[in-house]
Amino acid sequence: MNEIITSIKRTPYQSFASFLILFFTLFLAVFLFGMTTFFNGILSYVETKPQVTVYFQNETKESSITSIRQQLVSSGKVSNVKYTSKQDALKIYKNLNKNNPLLLEMVSADILPASLEIYANQISDLPQIAEQLNHMQGVDEVVFQKDVIDKLLSLTTMLRRVSIFILAFLVIVVFVVLMTTTAFKIALKKEEIELLRLLGASHSYVRWPFLKEGMFFGFASGSIAFFLYYLIFFVLQPVISSYLSGIPDLSFLGLGSYGLFVWPPSPLFILISYLLTVLAGIGIGYFGNYLSTSKYIR
Amino acid sequence: MGNAALKDVSFEIKENEFVFLVGPSGAGKTTILKLILKQLTPSSGTILVNNMEITAPNFNQTENLRRMMGVVFQDFKILQDKNVFENIAMSLRIQSASRSQIESEVQEALELVGLKHKERAFPSQMSAGELQRIAIARAIVGNREIIVADEPTGNLDPKTSWEIMKIFKKLEGKKTILFATHNSDIVNSMRKRVFVMKEGELKKDIKKGGYDL
Repeated sequence: MNEIITSIKRTPYQSFASFLILFFTLFLAVFLFGMTTFFNGILSYVETKPQVTVYFQNETKESSITSIRQQLVSSGKVSNVKYTSKQDALKIYKNLNKNNPLLLEMVSADILPASLEIYANQISDLPQIAEQLNHMQGVDEVVFQKDVIDKLLSLTTMLRRVSIFILAFLVIVVFVVLMTTTAFKIALKKEEIELLRLLGASHSYVRWPFLKEGMFFGFASGSIAFFLYYLIFFVLQPVISSYLSGIPDLSFLGLGSYGLFVWPPSPLFILISYLLTVLAGIGIGYFGNYLSTSKYIR
Repeated sequence: MGNAALKDVSFEIKENEFVFLVGPSGAGKTTILKLILKQLTPSSGTILVNNMEITAPNFNQTENLRRMMGVVFQDFKILQDKNVFENIAMSLRIQSASRSQIESEVQEALELVGLKHKERAFPSQMSAGELQRIAIARAIVGNREIIVADEPTGNLDPKTSWEIMKIFKKLEGKKTILFATHNSDIVNSMRKRVFVMKEGELKKDIKKGGYDL
């Protein structure tokens, strides 16, 4: 540690540049990771909602609806189909409007349609299922959440691609900055390196202090970036919560049963995010300086 | 083909022998030292150090070879941001020596060079003679069998030079020493084996010789 502090004192501007670029990269990485996992959580949540709801005409017989349901189930594209009869629809309506007796008086089971709520195995099958239902006899209307899901899908895909592009670009910038600053530090320690080599030091021995310093910067900048991100996040949490009212806990990669929640972020999720950030920082710092020392220490 | 730095140079130094390497500037003294230290590779010829053929094309023991040798330079090459103890210990840390081994060997070397009272001092607080003492201490720790000294008294006044030579005398018979110098007084008074170099050639190899160009 003393060695690292001495090196920072010797080259404060170069060290600050290394730290800053790592900090920005890792802060953006934490932010993009948070956004991507959040949108993935939202997408998973939407996927659990009824994806296609089909309302039947008044005169459609229950046997026809059962037959349609049977066809859907046997298609293999559907994970679950829930039937709501006219009577069930009335119960739901009464429950929703229990505080408005006037509305309750005006409605009977006859005017409410029977319906099927259909959950698809894959989102990509949704348009085909909806199209198939539109052409079936007795179908009055097909309500299909395609737009919402499509938008979310394209948003998460775009976010993922943009994140990868930005992060790849930043990692290249980090490597360039680290290589330049490390080259400067190597030049400053030229005499020491020559002496060490003459005394019989191996390449790895000469290289190790630079690698340690890179890892230290990665660890420090990763930690600070992470804590700053979560500080901002917790300050803004009440505002975000008000926008997301009605959205329940969002699990991370479907691992909610292990206590991994993106929203609201669970302690385990925060810990894993922290470890990933710090490991990424250490990795980038290590490899940046590894490349530099490979190039400049002969 | 350019001019060869060394031509037909051939010699053998026995274990624990003390040899002076003398000659005018450009005679090839430093080239010989650099070849032994494997800082340079000869275009032809063979160099054997402790029965290792260091000029073999497949030789890959440079680090081990250098760990057998201690080097003393004219300009000391002492690191300014490390204290006396750390400068000497560096030579042992390279060899992955234990903390206790470092402590005992550095103390022993400090005793030998007469700097025991200054182990925590920094180079900026020390005289040229003291800096060269540190360099000698650094060159002998870690069981280094061969000392290669390139003009170690070149930057020192006569009195200090003699103090440094006293330390080398203490090492006589314990280490193999190859000592390149311009200092005729030292060579003449020590009466050791002398290699006389001139224009890249070994002109004389004198047992118990003097500074005779």
